[in-house]
Amino acid sequence: MTSEPVLAVSSLVKRFGDVTAVDGVGFELMPGASLGIVGESGSGKTTTARILAGLDAPTSGTVLLDGEPVTGRSRRARLRRARLLQMIFQDPYGSFDPRQSIAASIAEPMRLHLPGTAADRRARVAELLDQVGLSERAGASLPRDLSGGQRQRAAIARALGIRPRVLVLDEAVAALDVSIQAQILTLLDGLRRDTGIAYVFVSHDLAVVRHITDTAVVMRHGRIVERGDTERILREPRHPYTRLLLDSIPVPGWDLDRVARDRRALDPSS
Amino acid sequence: MTVQDKKTAADTATRADALGIAGLGLAIGSGEDAVPLLDGVTVRVGRGETVGLVGESGSGKSLTARSALGMFPRGARATGSVTVGGVDVLAAGRAALRDLRRTRASMIFQDPRAAINPVRRVGDYLTEGLRARGVPSREAAATALDLLEQVGIRDPRGALRRHPHEFSGGMLQRVVIAGALSTGPELLLADEPTTALDVTTQAEVIGLLKGMQRTRGTGMLFVTHDLDLAAAICDRVYVMYAGRIVEEAAGTALFSAPAHPYTKALLEASPSVHGDRTEIRAIRGRPRSLAEAPSGCAFRDRCPLADDDCAVAVPAVRAHGTSAVACVRPEEVTR
Repeated sequence: MTSEPVLAVSSLVKRFGDVTAVDGVGFELMPGASLGIVGESGSGKTTTARILAGLDAPTSGTVLLDGEPVTGRSRRARLRRARLLQMIFQDPYGSFDPRQSIAASIAEPMRLHLPGTAADRRARVAELLDQVGLSERAGASLPRDLSGGQRQRAAIARALGIRPRVLVLDEAVAALDVSIQAQILTLLDGLRRDTGIAYVFVSHDLAVVRHITDTAVVMRHGRIVERGDTERILREPRHPYTRLLLDSIPVPGWDLDRVARDRRALDPSS
Repeated sequence: MTVQDKKTAADTATRADALGIAGLGLAIGSGEDAVPLLDGVTVRVGRGETVGLVGESGSGKSLTARSALGMFPRGARATGSVTVGGVDVLAAGRAALRDLRRTRASMIFQDPRAAINPVRRVGDYLTEGLRARGVPSREAAATALDLLEQVGIRDPRGALRRHPHEFSGGMLQRVVIAGALSTGPELLLADEPTTALDVTTQAEVIGLLKGMQRTRGTGMLFVTHDLDLAAAICDRVYVMYAGRIVEEAAGTALFSAPAHPYTKALLEASPSVHGDRTEIRAIRGRPRSLAEAPSGCAFRDRCPLADDDCAVAVPAVRAHGTSAVACVRPEEVTR
């Protein structure tokens, strides 16, 4: 089990009409590992994440979860995929039923996937709330009564309930205040250590990706332009686009002329 | 306003700062039910200076920036003083405010699509302010063309006839910057102008903004949640927490020697791509607004250094190192 990747993606292509959003993307994720997908708008990073979660079907290419391909939209196929892989979005507000308490929402996937009584589920929900740092009172609240950080905690609790092997996080901390973002990142770090879950962390923010991942791929125009250990990518970027991304991050003594040079190096025509 | 008045105002303005906010307080309602929003906010932007205003949600940074244009929430009462190029904003009537917004101070926002009328052409948007000042239409069109060239829009002549939806976010923000600078303001208020843009686009737009500001000598108040960005481009930075200024420091000093526990905590909570990989340290609790903040120092319920004397009164601002800081024990922060 330790040598088999829990998630293996190869030659993934997604076309929307004439536009190729994802163009031959492939990577592997080992159990308990954390992979970053870095890119800007239009890079195809979110489309890739949506394909992993089964929200979009790829035009071609394969996704192997735990060694078996996930294909089709049958109930059985969708359940199997969801059992192994869960997704967290930037703003979880839209993914909670506004009329259902947080605790009930967290119990929902368990009802669908796991055997057990209502009492078992209640006990597990209490355990999950505690694990993500939410009070019992927060569990009894409606989504609208929680802050953005608390809702993100709730979304994580719901995703963890059925003990998936992979969590796909799409810009999961991008909308949060710095002090709250740090809380969620710390929580995610701890959860991975304690449960051995693997992350696919999709983000435009290299600093956050550095903190939360071991390896990363950099995407541009639907293609992976660089891949490797996250630290190596940050210290010795090989692709000119990665260099541009890095130099675009503000720092005291920020050299904007260098950013312009990077851009010319990337697109000599402009 | 008569011609004579205008002349005197202009004379004092050349001597005054681009923006002077002193002891600004803001509250909605009155008496017991009053909801406080800002308390004792003092911000100065010199001519040609870039000043950062940094804070998390609810810190009051946008409210402070908007006060420079006399834009207050409905039913809010302001105390203290706000002057833009010598004009007293709080005492200004409707006509004077309109004149202020038309000629002395411009504002750019996070989302350019919300700031620009989608059914009007870019050319109309750019000439509107100039025409309102009485610039002849041919001359206004020439200025607009010149501005579009300066902000790096390809085919500026064609761009004048296009609509906002034909531009990408980064390009449209350039158009908005051109519009904001078209009237030659003394003060530019930039409220998270690059937050919605990609990082590489952000770098371009910042480069443009700084270049334009430098050549024109415009004072800029740059509102952002991004400490790195503020420190990278600002001469001075104010850090806000719960409706108050907690620290004022030179942009570069903010990183090397934060003097307020909140500033330090923010830095420790932010992951960085530079230097060695370090653990981030989360700040417990969540950001507060002034109305829900504890008495005394508003940060004391989240502060690792807080003690009983932090609850006594709102800490007075005092000098510490190169900072001005509202904390009773900054020496423990820098230690």
